[in-house]
Amino acid sequence: MSKRSRKQFEAIVEQLVELKDTSELMIDLAYSSLLLNSRELAEEVYRLEDYMDKLHTDFELLVLSSKSKKEEAKGFLGLIRLGVVTEKIADAAAEISEVILRGIEPHPVLKATIREAEETVTHVSVTQKSPLINKTLRDARIPEETGMWILAIRRGDKCIRPKPDLKIELGDVLIASGYAEGKEDLKKIASP
Amino acid sequence: MPHLERIKYKPIPVRELLLEMKNLSELMIDLAYSAALFNDKELAEDVMELESRVDTLAYLLEMQTMIAARDAEDAEALIGVSIVASAADKISDAAADIAVIVLKDIGVHPLVTQVFEKVEERLMRVKVDEESIIVGKQIGELGLVAKMGVDIIAIHRNKDWIINPKVKEKVKNGDILIARGAPSGIKEFKELAEGKLRRLED
Repeated sequence: MSKRSRKQFEAIVEQLVELKDTSELMIDLAYSSLLLNSRELAEEVYRLEDYMDKLHTDFELLVLSSKSKKEEAKGFLGLIRLGVVTEKIADAAAEISEVILRGIEPHPVLKATIREAEETVTHVSVTQKSPLINKTLRDARIPEETGMWILAIRRGDKCIRPKPDLKIELGDVLIASGYAEGKEDLKKIASP
Repeated sequence: MPHLERIKYKPIPVRELLLEMKNLSELMIDLAYSAALFNDKELAEDVMELESRVDTLAYLLEMQTMIAARDAEDAEALIGVSIVASAADKISDAAADIAVIVLKDIGVHPLVTQVFEKVEERLMRVKVDEESIIVGKQIGELGLVAKMGVDIIAIHRNKDWIINPKVKEKVKNGDILIARGAPSGIKEFKELAEGKLRRLED
């Protein structure tokens, strides 16, 4: 494989990883929206569904525009199919969140299934004076400091899964769940 | 035509059915991606088996909610449960779609594995050999997370699946373990479970 096509290939895989991560994040958020009866989270899932559609189209175009040799065609077909699967998972997540968006009070069975907890969800922006900027999530120790658990990070129109190595940036929106008291503590360190 | 068995009503609580559907569908997604990335047919077969189990659970759950709804108010309260169960079923179907890529020899481009390996942990299945030192030990006392960065996420024992096994769960001879971890730790763990590695180092 030439240098150029290798580069293009890495771009394809990078997009696939993002499709995969986004679809899995959506499932987590959708179940959390039920657990917490949170319209905000359900709306987030819906927004991500739009984002997935766009991402998926870009991904398919990228795969189709790469010049593959005949013997590689199967491998590329496999990639296209994986992309379709992420789309299906995202659709399933959107269906779960629709229950909340239609104003259906989640049945006690749903809450018992997902997890019994008295938690709230909060969105906090990371502002200029925040000590969190440029720290990795591991170093930021948000759960230890605030009792809040980061569900996702919104950056521009992307929504990122919280991995320990991820660096927090100015303007990030932290989506976190936890007990109500933790909300203020999180605000103090994210938007002082 | 595959043989599809007739599903008889069983009085299992909706909560239990839904919980198992949710857990299985999430496990299946992880198993299926690993199967595709590492072209692992055994993992893909596991996914197909779990898919038919989730189908059965979906039937049972649907029957149970039908019985539970006596009037319009009940139906309105229960519709959310139905929708969520159907979503879990769709997720498990999506996982089966991935498994088919492996089983029908379509495969994904081998370069994908190279790129993914850098960023992703992988799953592996391993059958516990009678010689292995982990036989009879509780998962908690093995300290796998601390020692090799490996987590046992499921046990396939005879016909049963134990998802997210508790720390007190004992490993038995012949168990099929699904473990998650970085590639090096996973390799070491496989040797341990197959009885080739005789010592657990701190």
